[in-house]
Amino acid sequence: MPTGKAAGTRCSGSNLSHSPSIIRRLSVIGPWVLVLPASLALLLLLVLPVAGTLMESFGNPKGIWENYRLFFSSSYNRAVLIRSFWIALQATAVSLVAGFFGAYMIANSRPGLKRVLLIVSVFPLLTGVVVRSFSWMAILGRNGIVNTALIQLGLIDQPLSLLFTQGAVIVGLAYLFTPLMILSLVGVLETIEDDLYLAAESLGASPFGVFRQVTLPLAVPGMIVGSVLVFTGSLATFVTPRLLGGEPQMTLATLLYQKAMISFDWEAANTIAAIMMAVTILCVFLMGWLVRRATSARVAQ
Amino acid sequence: MNRRKLHPLMQLAGWLVMLFLIGPVVIVLGTSVSDTTYLAFPPKGLTLRWFENVFAQDSFLSTFAISMQVAAGGTLLALVLGLAAAYALARYRTTIPAWYGSVFFLPFFIPEIVFGFSLLKTLIVLFELPVMPSLILGHAILCLPYMVRVIGASLASFDFSIKEAAVSLGMHPVRAFWTIVLPNIRSGMIAGVVLAFITSLNDMAVALFLTGPGISTLPIEVFTYVEQFFDPTVSAVSVLLMAVTTIVMILIERSLGLSKTIK
Amino acid sequence: MADHAVTLDNVVAHYGRTQVLHGLNLSVGEGELVSLLGASGCGKTTTLRLLAGFIQPTSGAITVAGRDITDLPPHKRDAGIVFQNYALFPHLTVADNVGFGLKQRRVPVAEREARVKAMLARVGLADYADRLPAALSGGQRQRVALARALVIDPPLLMFDEPLSNLDAKLRIDMRVEIRELQRANRRTAIYVTHDQEEAFSISDRVAIMHAGRIVQLDTPEVLYTRPVNAFVARFVGFDNLLPMTVIARDGDAVTVETVGGTLLTLSLGMTGPLPDRFLVGARPEGLEIVSAGPETIPGKTHTRSYLGRAYQYKVDTALGVLTANAPLAHDHGQDSAVGLRLNFEHCCILPYEEN
Repeated sequence: MPTGKAAGTRCSGSNLSHSPSIIRRLSVIGPWVLVLPASLALLLLLVLPVAGTLMESFGNPKGIWENYRLFFSSSYNRAVLIRSFWIALQATAVSLVAGFFGAYMIANSRPGLKRVLLIVSVFPLLTGVVVRSFSWMAILGRNGIVNTALIQLGLIDQPLSLLFTQGAVIVGLAYLFTPLMILSLVGVLETIEDDLYLAAESLGASPFGVFRQVTLPLAVPGMIVGSVLVFTGSLATFVTPRLLGGEPQMTLATLLYQKAMISFDWEAANTIAAIMMAVTILCVFLMGWLVRRATSARVAQ
Repeated sequence: MNRRKLHPLMQLAGWLVMLFLIGPVVIVLGTSVSDTTYLAFPPKGLTLRWFENVFAQDSFLSTFAISMQVAAGGTLLALVLGLAAAYALARYRTTIPAWYGSVFFLPFFIPEIVFGFSLLKTLIVLFELPVMPSLILGHAILCLPYMVRVIGASLASFDFSIKEAAVSLGMHPVRAFWTIVLPNIRSGMIAGVVLAFITSLNDMAVALFLTGPGISTLPIEVFTYVEQFFDPTVSAVSVLLMAVTTIVMILIERSLGLSKTIK
Repeated sequence: MADHAVTLDNVVAHYGRTQVLHGLNLSVGEGELVSLLGASGCGKTTTLRLLAGFIQPTSGAITVAGRDITDLPPHKRDAGIVFQNYALFPHLTVADNVGFGLKQRRVPVAEREARVKAMLARVGLADYADRLPAALSGGQRQRVALARALVIDPPLLMFDEPLSNLDAKLRIDMRVEIRELQRANRRTAIYVTHDQEEAFSISDRVAIMHAGRIVQLDTPEVLYTRPVNAFVARFVGFDNLLPMTVIARDGDAVTVETVGGTLLTLSLGMTGPLPDRFLVGARPEGLEIVSAGPETIPGKTHTRSYLGRAYQYKVDTALGVLTANAPLAHDHGQDSAVGLRLNFEHCCILPYEEN
């Protein structure tokens, strides 16, 4: 026991005469004392408050499920729920494709270029959500680069309304989360041993065959993790749908904010929060299960 | 030897993705110097007046000061909590079960907006805490997973027998922690602090619920400004924020290499 | 050339700007197993990668079964390679790993399954067809890798240090097994290793490589007894290299002088003329420790180590520190003056070269 030894050294040099049993007990408690403050902070500031929100969502005097019944009875809410899922799903698909191409190039670049490309991919991640969403307002706005280009090319006379559409929100979210997808995939792609590619080639697989039969299947765990990160992230993002989608593209996150801070309908806000929690937890468990299924057999022994 | 030659189409797709990631940054940069009252790209004319406008707005300056204070407080708190926890997790694997380490990643799995709303009800409404300490506490929780993860990675590669050697040579264990362990995980701590600071500085979800009239953070202020005015001032703020981020990124890259930090 | 299964003709290769092969020539006969033996960096792995098509030669030509394959991409070469770390596809079962090459060749499913089954039975893994590689032991993975390479009926089998990840006992078993499979299937094979014992035990011929060249290519027996130069001699265990200068010749008997002025009379029964200066390569058992006297190299023992069947001594002489073995019955102790007598059963004659 490392601590036992350390404590022993200390005691032999001082006048204190702890009995060995106390030292032994200290060596067991000591480590827990170190993790206690952080654990306590998580419990008091995260677990209990969020648990409170979940509890309150069942707290309607008319019945446990009353808040949910109210939420789902509104066709507007149902539309928001479905739209949120649909947007998150499409953003995930865009990120998955973009992320894979980006990560594949990064993983196969020479070291110098790889560093530059990694920095390029991660840079957006380190700037704020507001800045990143705003940049797409500048691109998709009435005087934005897309409209300017289309008018100059003579394809349109009047600027198109690209903002406040579902497409704008999807692009904005994909932009937000593609770096995360790239990071999940680069790690996985880089751990594929070079000899596996060589083995596949020497056995007669064409370059595309190697990609389809070796690279893709081995990247599946990274794709699952990345997709869940993007999906749950997209579902919970407030700024992007608010700035790029506005009122017409209300999502769960923006609706939660509206109920909580504008109409002060906390019952509804609690319910939405609980639904988001449930979906997120479900996704995370699904991810764990899928990744285990995809990798456990491979690494087990 | 781990490189594959890319098919030209794959190469093209890869570069398009890079363009997708860096293009918007370039466009914001361009619009911030455009001499137009709307966002024009490529910029028409060249001016620095939008940057002047940023510094003319008291609200940007005061909220920036608040953001810095909150980030400093939140990061420091997360560092103390995270360092202690990461150290215990790395050092006492026989006492603390491995699964306990994942407890500290809990904030990653809770939608930030749910967390922010729940904090509002607990800290502000229930305990009637002022905005400032509430923000610091909330951000400390947001930053904690980064600290535990990055410092933990540093500790994982630290050879504890070095510390044992120091203790066996007569050094007090507590002193050995300060003089032997800490210097060796310095780069991990710097990276953790930097990531935490950026997280706090960029946070919307928590600040959205905890800030109120009179006290706000910079992202909230910028967000409010964007909703009302749509002029290149925001581009200028964005550019300034990116500059801060870039400096910070160079600092991490210098201290230990970016790729290592993120994975 | 036509009757050789594999030829490398004056092959030069570079990694970036570094030249790693300097005009390599090698011919391997049908059904022959040739080992490439040498320390890391000698070019043996490069040669294998050239044959597999993973790298391109700067100049020179490679033919397999009479066909010039120099410019062929790897997936069209029909090479069966057993990798050092096996390189089994972690996401495929044992059967799918073995069938991978057949699938690429669009062998019909029924035939593919039959051939995989037969091959798995051949390597003793019939019951493991549905396992994933992670669920196998090192030796079993090695067998899967072997089966995967063999099942495509390659004109050339290649082994890249295939046994280096196995423990000592298993290594010897697998070596016998590889040799049997290769013989039974009459496969031409190239086997890369840095382990001399492994190369000698498994090969028809061994190419000893050094600094991008083949130094000597011969059967193990010839290599072991008649190395062509000091490098090969040291490699096969002639630990002592003694420079000699001829001062008198009298028919079969030659009087030579070695460093330090010691005169020795050698009776070699050599065919061919002996040059005026040459090296004698002596194994430790080729230096007998006797009491100092004429016809011996004087020296002083200093370190003794126990080898089980004999003691090994380090002996300080005018030629430097020499290594000599002595039977256990004779304990010469340390720091005692002794003489070293050459026993030509365990010596070889080499061209003179500076150390």
